[in-house]
Amino acid sequence: MNATLRFLAGYARRNLGQYMLGLAALLATNYAVVRIPALLGEALNILEGSGAAVLAESRGIAIELMVLAVVVIAVRTLSRVFFFNPGREIEYRLGVDLFERLLGLQRPYFNRHKVGELISIASNDTTSVRLLVGFAGLQVINVAVAIPMHLWQMASTDLALTAWCLGPVVIGAAYMRWTVKRFFAMIRDGMQQLARLSDRVLESYAGVGTIRSHAAEVATIRRFDERNESYLALQLRVSAIRAFGMPVLAFSGLIGAGVVLWAGGNRVIAKELGIGDLAAFTALLVSLVGILTSLAWVLAAVGRGMIATDRVAELMHTPDDLPPVKSALAVVQAPRIEIRGLSFTYEGTDTPAIEGIHAEIAPGKTLGIFGKTGSGKTTLVNLLTRVYTPPVGTVFIDGVDIVEAGLAEVREAMAVVPQAPFLFSSRLRDNITLQEANPRARSKVAATAGVEPVRDEPDPRLDAVLASACLNDDIAQLAQGLDTIVGERGVMLSGGQRQRAALARAIYRNRPILVLDDVLAAVDQGTEARLVEAIRGLRSDGAATSAPTTIIVSHRTSVLEHVDEIIVLDHGKMVERGTHAQLLRAGGVYAETHRHQEGAT
Amino acid sequence: MSAQPRVPKPTSSWSLLRRFWGFAHPHRRWIWFGLTMIPLVAGLSTLRPLLLKEAIDTAIPQSDPLGLRVLGLIFMVAVVAEFLCSAVQVYALQRGGSSTISDVRRTVFSHVLRLPARFYDNNAIGGLLSRTTSDVEALSETLAFGVFTILTDVVMIVSIVVAMFVLDAKLTLVTLTVTPVLYVLVRYFGAALRRLQLEMRKAQAAQTGFLAEQLSGVTVVQLFGREPAALREYERLGQRNLDATKHANILDALLFAVMDGISAFTIALMIYFAAPSVTSGGAITLGLLFAFVDYLQRVFGPIKEFSGKLATIQRASASLERIYGLLDEPGEPAGTKAAGEAVIDPLHGWRGGIRIRDLKFRYKDDGPEVLRGISFDVAPGEVIAVVGRTGSGKSSLGRVLTSFYDGYRGSIALATPTGEVELSSVVPEQLRRHVLMVQQDVFLFDENVAFNVSLGDPAIAGDRSRIERALAVVQADQVIAERGGLEFMVGERGANLSSGEAQLLAFARVAAREPTLLILDEATASVDSLTEQKVQRAIETLLHGRSVIVIAHRLSTIRRADRIVVLRQGEIAEIGPHDELMAKGGVYAEMVAMGLEEDGAGVNAGATSVEAAGP
Repeated sequence: MNATLRFLAGYARRNLGQYMLGLAALLATNYAVVRIPALLGEALNILEGSGAAVLAESRGIAIELMVLAVVVIAVRTLSRVFFFNPGREIEYRLGVDLFERLLGLQRPYFNRHKVGELISIASNDTTSVRLLVGFAGLQVINVAVAIPMHLWQMASTDLALTAWCLGPVVIGAAYMRWTVKRFFAMIRDGMQQLARLSDRVLESYAGVGTIRSHAAEVATIRRFDERNESYLALQLRVSAIRAFGMPVLAFSGLIGAGVVLWAGGNRVIAKELGIGDLAAFTALLVSLVGILTSLAWVLAAVGRGMIATDRVAELMHTPDDLPPVKSALAVVQAPRIEIRGLSFTYEGTDTPAIEGIHAEIAPGKTLGIFGKTGSGKTTLVNLLTRVYTPPVGTVFIDGVDIVEAGLAEVREAMAVVPQAPFLFSSRLRDNITLQEANPRARSKVAATAGVEPVRDEPDPRLDAVLASACLNDDIAQLAQGLDTIVGERGVMLSGGQRQRAALARAIYRNRPILVLDDVLAAVDQGTEARLVEAIRGLRSDGAATSAPTTIIVSHRTSVLEHVDEIIVLDHGKMVERGTHAQLLRAGGVYAETHRHQEGAT
Repeated sequence: MSAQPRVPKPTSSWSLLRRFWGFAHPHRRWIWFGLTMIPLVAGLSTLRPLLLKEAIDTAIPQSDPLGLRVLGLIFMVAVVAEFLCSAVQVYALQRGGSSTISDVRRTVFSHVLRLPARFYDNNAIGGLLSRTTSDVEALSETLAFGVFTILTDVVMIVSIVVAMFVLDAKLTLVTLTVTPVLYVLVRYFGAALRRLQLEMRKAQAAQTGFLAEQLSGVTVVQLFGREPAALREYERLGQRNLDATKHANILDALLFAVMDGISAFTIALMIYFAAPSVTSGGAITLGLLFAFVDYLQRVFGPIKEFSGKLATIQRASASLERIYGLLDEPGEPAGTKAAGEAVIDPLHGWRGGIRIRDLKFRYKDDGPEVLRGISFDVAPGEVIAVVGRTGSGKSSLGRVLTSFYDGYRGSIALATPTGEVELSSVVPEQLRRHVLMVQQDVFLFDENVAFNVSLGDPAIAGDRSRIERALAVVQADQVIAERGGLEFMVGERGANLSSGEAQLLAFARVAAREPTLLILDEATASVDSLTEQKVQRAIETLLHGRSVIVIAHRLSTIRRADRIVVLRQGEIAEIGPHDELMAKGGVYAEMVAMGLEEDGAGVNAGATSVEAAGP
């Protein structure tokens, strides 16, 4: 609780000024709000008399009321703006900070958490926090200010009558508090049941193939009905409480008004009370009941907000589990890479994914990694690129243990093409250069509004990269060429096109280390030959920079033919090692596969 | 966008509503009952101020405690009556509404289950899920808080205004002078707010979409050092949302405050103009002022919520259109089930013989052909193994043969005793009673073992011994007994079972059904070595006594086949028994030498690089 509040206070501090202004406006609002019924009462009291003086006086009050009405509009607006806008700002800052934290977390964390779950925290939970610091904050303070003010105004009009009419209201409020608790328990149940219903729907849709091949539709609908009906039953209970329970407080206020009419009327007859005071009383009572009703809701919002805050804070405080940085790493030239006795076991498994790998790549040379699916190729690449953290003392770049170097520096040194190419939903151009997306070029609004999209500067390096990656023919086929939006929300590219785009991205990045994880798998043989040539070309043309130290993973021998050394993995172990020619001569797995692959073409 | 279900042209709200009434019809009693309560509630609530007026103008001036007591009592009785009526009204309408919504959800669900496989290809399951849950839920919210309350509010306001006119038309007109101002405000603010809310929703969607994508591709973001750029873009998108919300907040606060202020302002206006009449003993009495004050306090509250409620209704009609769009998608053809009439089985007596001639198939009209003229026969009881690399068309062949996809060209003739039946002429539902396809990835439901074998088929579910026999046939009985028997819960997607055990269950499904033709898409993923042998033996058992087309990956399975069809790029490269093909030394021989493990990870790599390289 305290930690939660401290966490929130850390965020709210920056908006302290706005909150203070909001508080002042809130006090003014509440003063005006209780003053209005009082003035009304006064006016009615005066109107009971007669004569010109009375008329003038009552009109004076009426004008005062009008002024007050305008004041209410102003201060109430301000109080809401000053409370709600900081809430929004805090929500925004929380969202950004959360995203920053997520970007710093590594693969093992993302293996444990589903993207949907993280998105829910970043969007739904921050919304609950916003309601807590905005709406609920305003209401809590409002209630704290308004209730004493109302009671004071009522009591100063007539103490006895206050006592009379508050009776039903207090009972109503107590009942309301109890009911709201029950109501929210039901709403929570309802959310859970809806989630369970969604699970069942999702399960059924995902398994629709099985359902249909086994003609299990009827049973599936029956399983759905179970949950759908229990959800309906709960909803009906919620309806009952909403219909019969929730309005009790408001109606108890009306009963209070009846008491005012009766008991108050008697006091007016007895000349102990002015007639206008009855009206003032009733109006105050109605206003008080309104505030009490909102109180019940606010308490619930506070509860939910606190829980959400804890979830947000927990994610924000998740450690990235990165080892401490002990050495500096600045790779300018193609470095020497050493792998010494590298073994790795994934979290939650017993058998090592790779075991005892040794290799050394001289600056500017190329290492090929060969093996069947599941042999540990990708694991090895993920360790070299520190997607997973390798054990200390196993992987060195220019003699620096990569575990001891800063993660950013390690990644700065390399261009990596992962096995599964990932394209963002932006222009193909941005996907390759990884420039920040040009917002104007992307926005459809700008296009329809006739705003000229920003022209991109000519980029000769990009043109060269596109040619190396054999992408020009594909680009020519796209309606908007390089400016075509690709990715999930854009044009779907074929597997081979995606792989080549990802390859182009890495070549464009132009770093001293190049890592290619089976990137030519979905590419036909003719293109493969040209791509292999292009990758080799990176070293031979040697224009400005020296050739990168390269690691190429493949299950095709044709890709590895020209590399300097090949290691062959099988079930996580290194079974062969040597150049293409040496391996062919050795007559092992590699040679055998090569024979078949060659035979197939 | 192709990822969305078809959305029909915007139809009038009226026709949307008429169609909705079809769902509400069975629950109309509750709805009518609730609706009839509305005028009662409005009447009772209009009565209260009149009682107040009576007390102030008559009972109190005449010092009549008895009359005052009677009025006080009537007042409280009216309050209690109003409470009851409004509670009944709310309950009845919500009951009618919720029941209707529940029916809508059920209709959507059962319809989606019947949609053809092509539809699932083009529509993400997530989208279908939100059609079935979120969109339907939005409808429910609107019914509860939009439509019905707006109706109540309108009736209430009308009855109050009528009462005011009856009491004093002139004073009513004076107080109503603010109406034009009000109208302009609500319209202007309402329109501006709705625009902003639309912008907010768009901005939010863009932000969430960006977040989802960056998190899915977080490895690429990190490997390429794109974190700062991603963060900046996220900030930009968030800022857009923030700007819109702050703007909306100001308007919203103003609207709220203005409504509050205006009710005070009208009261002042009324006092100002009524004062001469009251003091001179004119038509306007103090009691009348009391009543007016009461009325005015209640008129403005609902008006400030109108705009918001209208927006909810608009959103709901968008949901409704999306739901109708989904319901209008044509489902798979279903068997005509006239009540009591015995459905004629066109495949009666079929023993599994098939003649496939020049079979061609493409998934999309403008897509590439995945099967390009395939011809072969399957004799009754024959086991055919289909092998080929990824993309050779072997899975497509299975999907066509089970009618998951229609629109093949060429001929697939099923040899029944009464003559050949073309596959496309058989209703899918009837076909699948004879042809069973077991997919690579076994799908298990979060239920017990018995359900997962019977899948609710009454003939199987009602006969435990049949389930037990089926488990025994595939040698899963022992494993299941160790696990805790037929009642053992397999967990979500079979989480409590190993992959080998899950496969055994899928095989038990086959054994329980005994299809004429089995299409078995053998799993590529290796299972734990303990169950591996059991799986092998189970497959061998299933290959007996029926026609089988097995999309095979294991040499041991292929060896059991009578003939092997080698597919390459949608065509048959080789066909014949194992030994013959080996002797030939062609594509097949080479595949065997390579271990036949061609289907690997990464080939069908789509969007999720997060999973691509996990353990």
